[in-house]
Amino acid sequence: MGFVYLGALIFSLLGMVVLDWKFKLFFYKNFCLASVVLVVGVLFFLVWDLVGISLGIFFRGDSQFMTGVLLTEELPLEEVFFLALLCYVSMNFFCVFYKYFLGKSQCAYQRELD
Amino acid sequence: MCISERIRLNKTYFLLNLGFLGFVVCFCLWFFLCLPAGRKSLYLKSVVATFVCVVLLTVVFDNVLVGTGIVAYDFDKISGIFVGYAPVEDFFYSLVAVSFLPALWMLMFRFKIFNSGGVTFLAKNSVKQLLLSSRPLSWVNTAFPFSVAYLLSTGGVSWFWVVGTFYFLVPYNLLMYGINDVFDYESDLRNPRKGGVEGALLSRSLHRLTIWVAVLSNLPFLVFLVVAGSGVSVLFLVVTVFMVLAYSAPKLRFKEKAFLDSFTSSAHFVFPAVYGFVAAGVSLLDGSVAAFLGAFFLWGVASHAFGAVQDIVADRAGGISSIATVVGGKLTVRLAVFCYVLAGVLLLLLVWPWSLTFLFVVPYVLNLLPFWFISDLDSPQANSGWKRFLGLNFFTGFCVTMLFIFFI
Repeated sequence: MGFVYLGALIFSLLGMVVLDWKFKLFFYKNFCLASVVLVVGVLFFLVWDLVGISLGIFFRGDSQFMTGVLLTEELPLEEVFFLALLCYVSMNFFCVFYKYFLGKSQCAYQRELD
Repeated sequence: MCISERIRLNKTYFLLNLGFLGFVVCFCLWFFLCLPAGRKSLYLKSVVATFVCVVLLTVVFDNVLVGTGIVAYDFDKISGIFVGYAPVEDFFYSLVAVSFLPALWMLMFRFKIFNSGGVTFLAKNSVKQLLLSSRPLSWVNTAFPFSVAYLLSTGGVSWFWVVGTFYFLVPYNLLMYGINDVFDYESDLRNPRKGGVEGALLSRSLHRLTIWVAVLSNLPFLVFLVVAGSGVSVLFLVVTVFMVLAYSAPKLRFKEKAFLDSFTSSAHFVFPAVYGFVAAGVSLLDGSVAAFLGAFFLWGVASHAFGAVQDIVADRAGGISSIATVVGGKLTVRLAVFCYVLAGVLLLLLVWPWSLTFLFVVPYVLNLLPFWFISDLDSPQANSGWKRFLGLNFFTGFCVTMLFIFFI
């Protein structure tokens, strides 16, 4: 049961990749910049998490669905994947809406921001 | 939304999130200003739509996470307001994700658009004007007093300290100098000194934007400080912000009332320190705290009064009154010297070795002596003294910092 949560996160991330690929939204629009955004986002939220943990606000629950691998006290490995998913979902949504509100042809978004 | 019977309205988690949101709001505001007009609404619309979707997903996902016990919370540190099983504070994560990351993403594309001209973009005229208008050189002058006062009193770094220091570093200055420049527009136009590092001319088209930026960047931080603080500290915060507004806001215009102008201006730098002490729970009646704050305050009064000397001609032409236009340049300089000396005397009252800090006053006094006999017509010459004064501040600030590091 230990890999249920991690598995679900990876499955969801793969789903994001498929949508990204199909509509050429984020990584499939500009791989380098998308990587930077995702890494910065995950690091930012990790700092946030660490401050929260140090204040004793939240901690790792006692769940059988987790691998039990810890990055540091109270910070499970899965949290990195969760934050990556949060960032990826947000960016995919944003790019979809940006593309939609931009209107025009399919190519407009490709040219936009390039 | 259901409010559980375990509702406690504890604010620890809320404050953590509000602090991070504050930083992100500042970043997004800066980014937003950099966007070309046509892209501003595009960004806003997309962020709002994304937010709705991500919040809906968060409701589902977070409930699963908390419900299955993957994440757990200390119920004494959250508000106790839940959406299902999810603490309402968790939604700050969604809000930040949908505003911060797209801003970062679009910002990097902008870098590429201008490629070699990336710098041009970052220093886009309106942004440059707004930033200059907040006197980046002076940022440290408001952040440092709060930061040191709070740190000395509590002896440790805390979340409140981090957020408070950032507030007095950037948003506080955006508010202070932003509204100042908007309402000073007329007299600044006649003053050739304004428009460089010392003070920027803010073009009229940017006035509304400036007010918006000042209000939006201040809001999350003020809410944070109010919620985090005790009753007394909130009172001092209100007074501090009132001083900032009253200095230049229409009708009040403390800066145009002789003596009140120097008092208010000094308060801008001293009150963050006062607030720092109060927020840390230190009594202001404590001897050395009072002596230190008194000296700092007198230093501020003297510095402002001297600063007003160089503007006598421009201010009189603009119909603005200040301490210097009312009592004249010569008397103002002498008054400033007197205040510096008095500040030195107060510093002597501190315990050894801190009483040695009275020596810092000496260069300030020396800096003013060449203008002891200055006439109102020659008053613009005081600008050379003002420039030395600005340099002196960095030297003094450096020395004081060294002292803190070595002795504490």
